[in-house]
Amino acid sequence: MTSLNRRLFVEMLREEWRLHSELFGGSRFAGFPVFVALLTSGAVYLLTTTGTEIGAILAGVHGLALFFGLRTGSTGFVGQDAMRDVLGDATMLVFSARTLPVSQRRLLSVFLLKDAVYYAVLFLLPIAVGFTPAVASGDLTLLAIPTAWATTTAMFLLGVTITFAAIGLSTRGASGRLLLLGLAAGAGLAFVSGVDFVQFTPYGLFDGATLPEVVVALAPIPLLAVIGIAVYDTSYERAARTAGRTFPRWQARLPFDADGLTVKTLLDVQRSSGGLGKVLFSGGILFAVSWLLIDLAETITGLEPSTGISFGAILALSAFTTYNWITMYDDVASYQLYPVSVADAVRAKFRAFLVLGIPTCVGYFLLAVVWQGARLPEAVVGLVLLVGVALYLFGVTVALAGFDPNEFLFDTVLFAGFGAALAVVLVPILIVGLVLAPVSTGLLVALGVGGVLVGGIGIALYRRSVPKWERHYRR
Amino acid sequence: MSAIRTEKLRKTYGDVTALADLTLDIEAGELFGALGPNGAGKTTTIGILTGQLQPDSGTASVLGHDPVAEPVETRRHVGILPEQESPPSFMTPREYFDFVATVRDVPADVVEERVEQWAQRLSFAEKLDTLSSDLSRGQQQKVMITQAFLHEPEVVFIDEPLANLDPIVQERVKRYLQDYRERGNTLFISTHHIEVAEEICSRVGIVYDGRLIADRRPAEMDDEESLLDTFVANVGSDEEWTEPTATAGDD
Repeated sequence: MTSLNRRLFVEMLREEWRLHSELFGGSRFAGFPVFVALLTSGAVYLLTTTGTEIGAILAGVHGLALFFGLRTGSTGFVGQDAMRDVLGDATMLVFSARTLPVSQRRLLSVFLLKDAVYYAVLFLLPIAVGFTPAVASGDLTLLAIPTAWATTTAMFLLGVTITFAAIGLSTRGASGRLLLLGLAAGAGLAFVSGVDFVQFTPYGLFDGATLPEVVVALAPIPLLAVIGIAVYDTSYERAARTAGRTFPRWQARLPFDADGLTVKTLLDVQRSSGGLGKVLFSGGILFAVSWLLIDLAETITGLEPSTGISFGAILALSAFTTYNWITMYDDVASYQLYPVSVADAVRAKFRAFLVLGIPTCVGYFLLAVVWQGARLPEAVVGLVLLVGVALYLFGVTVALAGFDPNEFLFDTVLFAGFGAALAVVLVPILIVGLVLAPVSTGLLVALGVGGVLVGGIGIALYRRSVPKWERHYRR
Repeated sequence: MSAIRTEKLRKTYGDVTALADLTLDIEAGELFGALGPNGAGKTTTIGILTGQLQPDSGTASVLGHDPVAEPVETRRHVGILPEQESPPSFMTPREYFDFVATVRDVPADVVEERVEQWAQRLSFAEKLDTLSSDLSRGQQQKVMITQAFLHEPEVVFIDEPLANLDPIVQERVKRYLQDYRERGNTLFISTHHIEVAEEICSRVGIVYDGRLIADRRPAEMDDEESLLDTFVANVGSDEEWTEPTATAGDD
């Protein structure tokens, strides 16, 4: 590594650390890897003792690493303007090609290397260490831990480089996008015709592999990185986007939105990457996870769960991701130019949540009920629980994190508080839904009343936390 | 009659004192320029006067409203143009003005007319339907200037009004600010450009280390005195800095 590359690498590493610690809990962020290791250990222990195959857990973790890599890979390319929506007026070294005598390609190469080292050490190593309970129980050998670290890191890098290559190609105009589409279609076709992709990924190496298999599985990483960096057109500028006058039209359809703040939030979500579809997509992921978990619970207990109660409780978790989407594109400071209070801004988020979040989780709930079949009284109470718990989660999130729910993911103390608040409500409901079905009338009434109560607590929590945030944002 | 008043306003951020007992009295119809180096406390003053920040101590009043106790009511009567705020990324300027008009209760037909005038004045008519995130910094600044004046408030706070604007638009903005003041409105602008303050302000206060250290009316200053001299005399001069000389071995 030349001295310039080394210097860039060290500075980018430092920058990433400062960025995360600034965003997520200051010095508390240092405890995050330990928290990840403990969380993984707990999950591995619980899942293995309840009969889940260790192979399935490892597959899930590798899939997660790939997904995380796909997301992380876009950061180097999305540009400063997109970053500003999330980070404020931040300038990162990877965007400094215009001011420093360093090429964009060199910056991207070092950025990729920095990502590999930073995330491998800070996130993937703790996850691999989190498999220790499986070693203790004899489900895995000790060697599996460093192997899992290496293969999850490689999966993460595969994700990063796929995004790098895809974005690089997309900067090459119609021909690049056409090629990208062709490659995606080819991959889809191969998958449909039964080609086992997994054996060509680093995950395929986990159970041991021959040298040629290792080469085949790892070669795409440097290859995709080189393609991404080589084809990326540094002079590429996205064409300016135009839009019709949607604001007054939408506002006319929302009679409760006299100040227009809710429509502003809805426009943010609709016009940002992924559009309104991202809310549906994240709800869909939760729906699939709920399905798997409930199915798993049935396998373990041998008891038929209550579709209404169990889906109602778990699908309410989509409240958190929806709140994330509706707070991602602005901050409180941007509202302080107008005669608008923090209470008005939070109320607008609440209404946007009701418009976007509740129909999404209710839609998936109805899908589950229709698909799985449910006893009518349990479905009705499940619906009450779904809305009640979703409102409760909204209230807890606002009370703990204000306009910055992302902090939960990396701030150990906040995450633990959020987890505890969640467990208090969800655990009893899930026990009833998974173990006590068919649920007696008395319990159903209690659950229904409980659902209304926790919904009320959620609304009260968000309202009562407003003065705290009012003071916080004027400090 | 005072449009803006502060009395011993104090604000600290940790160990840093941004405002140290700042006292100001700005009459209605003045174009007041807060002139000072970076970090003098100008932006913090605007933040407190518009109810965005809470002072540690002291009092403030804008058009008879207390921005500390009634931030929303204060903001209802003023226009604000911060230095580092862009229009919402996913709205077009036209939609943004619709939004501002809704929040500020400006009738739709009035908004149409004013937006038309501003788009002509600042030359951004062809950008009215472009998403704000795809506008240049200069275009974004034009949109932000427009939103600050859309409801034609009696008091407007502006942090660096000419940032990112081309010279022609700068001239138009300067002329508009002076016209606006002549119509009896009050403007509080923050700048570190002495020549801008000297050219357009009816009164200039030099702010340094969180204090008002000089107060001048450019029109009443005699030929011997300049704002630059006053600034240098109070804030420090360039003579304090000596360029290091090249040493042997330097290329």
